[in-house]
Amino acid sequence: MDVSQYLDIFIDETKEHLQNLNEHLLVLEREPENESTINEIFRAAHSLKGMSATMGFTRMQRLTHDMENVLSEIRNGKMKVSSDLVDILFKGLDALEAYLANIQATSSEGEEDNEEIINALNNILKGKKAETATPAEAVKAEATKVEATKVEATKVAGRKENVQQAEAAGDSSKMKFKTIRLEEHEKKAIVKAGMMDLNVIGVTIYLVETCMLKGARAFMINRAIEEHGEIIKLFPSAQDLEDEKYDFDYSAFIITKESPEVIVDAIMKVSEVKEAVADYIKLSDDDIASNTEAIKKEEATAQIKLFTDTGNAKQGQAAAQKTTAKQLTNRSVRVDIDKLDVLMNLVSELIIAKNGLVSRSSEILELQDAAFREHIEYLERVTTNIHEAVMKTRMVPIESVVNRFPRMIRDLSKQLNKEMELYMTGEDTELDRTVIDEIGDPLMHLLRNAADHGLEPAEERKRLGKNPVGSIYLNAYQDGNSVVIEVKDDGGGINIEKIKKVAIQRGVITEEQAQRMEDKDVIDILFRPSFSTSDKVTEVSGRGVGLDVVKTKIESLGGEIEARSKMGEGSSFIIRLPLTLAIIQSLMVVIGGEKYALPLGNIQSIEEIGKDEIKTIQGKEVINLRGNVIPIIRLGNILECASGEQPKDLLIIIVKKGSRLAGMVVDELIGQLEIVYKSIGKYIKGHKIISGATILGNGEIALILDVNSLV
Amino acid sequence: MAASNLKQYIIVYLNSKKYGINIKYIDSIIFMQKITRVPGAQDYFMGVINLRGEVVPVMSLKKRLGLPDEEYGSKARIIIIRPEPQAACVGLVVDQVKEVITLEADSIEKMSYDESDEKAQFNAGIGKVEDDLIDLLNISAITRT
Repeated sequence: MDVSQYLDIFIDETKEHLQNLNEHLLVLEREPENESTINEIFRAAHSLKGMSATMGFTRMQRLTHDMENVLSEIRNGKMKVSSDLVDILFKGLDALEAYLANIQATSSEGEEDNEEIINALNNILKGKKAETATPAEAVKAEATKVEATKVEATKVAGRKENVQQAEAAGDSSKMKFKTIRLEEHEKKAIVKAGMMDLNVIGVTIYLVETCMLKGARAFMINRAIEEHGEIIKLFPSAQDLEDEKYDFDYSAFIITKESPEVIVDAIMKVSEVKEAVADYIKLSDDDIASNTEAIKKEEATAQIKLFTDTGNAKQGQAAAQKTTAKQLTNRSVRVDIDKLDVLMNLVSELIIAKNGLVSRSSEILELQDAAFREHIEYLERVTTNIHEAVMKTRMVPIESVVNRFPRMIRDLSKQLNKEMELYMTGEDTELDRTVIDEIGDPLMHLLRNAADHGLEPAEERKRLGKNPVGSIYLNAYQDGNSVVIEVKDDGGGINIEKIKKVAIQRGVITEEQAQRMEDKDVIDILFRPSFSTSDKVTEVSGRGVGLDVVKTKIESLGGEIEARSKMGEGSSFIIRLPLTLAIIQSLMVVIGGEKYALPLGNIQSIEEIGKDEIKTIQGKEVINLRGNVIPIIRLGNILECASGEQPKDLLIIIVKKGSRLAGMVVDELIGQLEIVYKSIGKYIKGHKIISGATILGNGEIALILDVNSLV
Repeated sequence: MAASNLKQYIIVYLNSKKYGINIKYIDSIIFMQKITRVPGAQDYFMGVINLRGEVVPVMSLKKRLGLPDEEYGSKARIIIIRPEPQAACVGLVVDQVKEVITLEADSIEKMSYDESDEKAQFNAGIGKVEDDLIDLLNISAITRT
């Protein structure tokens, strides 16, 4: 079968499963007894195995198979979860991710066999099975089978048990269910049913051998059965049935009021069933006695337990139903990001055209009637809504980036031998796809910094009376037109004095400057490239590794970063990103006769200030605005505009960057406008304040000013 | 004669002197239009224009070549250049666009020049047309800003 067409789906789904595994393994390490987590992990590993087998990725399949074997032991309670075990499972996970990366890049899983991990996994199994029997052979046999053919391989586990059971039962009766060994909890459920005067019926169903969709058929049969009672066990499991991992027969155990005949009748009504045989299930007296006791005890404690005690079969069943339900309700469509880009560009053009219409209509007198204005306004509303709708389709929850961090912190914790916990909030905060793709590395950098340099060693923390387990926070939330991501630690904070000292030593600032500098200005030194790349500084200050790189990246995304710190209480890095890059709300202004656009996001207020209110302090012009001393910047000078007659009152736009304010002097305000960001290309290298250009309604170009770079 | 030996050039005037631009670089030729100044840009850049909804930087070819730059008349044009097939466009302002000529490879005289002299790199050879000599421009060097 040609499966290449499914490759994209395979990659997407594998990613989901791997992420799922990742998350649940982390939970498992913390709560080794958490049954639902173990089941979740098992299911994810199982699905991965099936998928990779179908796609013909045998190495990947072999690895997942061995992981699954170990997981299966855990699930059946035959093995305890240890930190080492989780380590190996994580290694397996990494290897699977490597396979996936290979597959993504080359459509082939590569040559790496990951023997080491497989051996480690098998050793765990061996260690466990040593007391039972011939483990090495069994493992070996399985391994060879696995390599043989893909579909065959996925059946190995089930088949092997089958053989054993067939031997135990002697000749092959058609009532295969009689040979199936029941787990303790299943027996318990059966006993319990007996106490409630319900019948327990076993049934083996044979499908016609020409049956094409065995998974669906099994599902239909099970549904038919469930009209009469409750299925407590399926063999093979519900998941295997759904994945068509069985020959042409399977067995079920049912708790029902009906007789076996009724059940058989119901099953036979489903097409493609060749035969169904059913009988009452009787347990040995010993089983009944021991379980009755247990049930009585349990009933005293909790009734809800019954639910979970009906066991894996039911859970598997529930899962099967859940996935089917998901397929029904999942109404999403996967769209290539390029197509969305095209759509976004078209929306941009639409907005330009709309702006053109608006500006033209204000020039032509005949068009100045109310009806026309109404249409224009309607058009404006629609274009804005289209823009928003398209923007939303491009939005991806930040989760897809941050969900790898818990794992990273776990590894760092071991690596650095520091205990730490990562607390994340706002993973569902959404950002533009283009931003999401780029934000991962800077965040990782900041988290590493926090873990490595931010948090003190455990002994020191104890000495300081802090919780020896350090805390790192990653908080994301939307704030107006931007998204804020905050990386915080409860470590020692940034040592201002040390930075000053080193900065003076390295000639970044003079001693005199250092004395005058405020703390936040000192912290800003960390972001300077010349400063942070030096190892010497890093050793001393314990901070600033590549922070300039982080800053550059954030700024290239149109965002900004700010650091805050409190000695002894920790430090935080606050990243502020625009929701979208392509279309921005801006304030149009005139400076020296030229039109410029200022992004609205950073504008705090607009003030009219008398000329005489401007004071000069240390050669810098400042104003005192409601108690705040704010430096003012004459944009006309910076932009080398021909400055005209200076009016008596100055128009000052107050811009906020982090906690800092600055006033920008402009000549005239035009108004608010939705503009489309256009790059001015790489040929021309304008002032750093110019972040791009936009095309106005009349076809003119206005430059977009990144006033933040001046603050 | 093999066609590959033929090269087509557009003849433009800069301060009433003839220059040739290889036709393969030319995307289009447009009328002079309002150019938006970009503060802080290299001095030979006049600014940016709106070319069919795209923002395209425009340079004064005269300034780029170190020639005196005066007012442009009604014959002035902006030649939109695409230095590489996939690269972004850049505009060159010229006083006048004259004609298209076809030169044979052997009627182009290569000039030797001093590597260190940036302005000299802008020359891609001298084209001989009848008894006229035309300064052929090295577009790659000119647009390497």
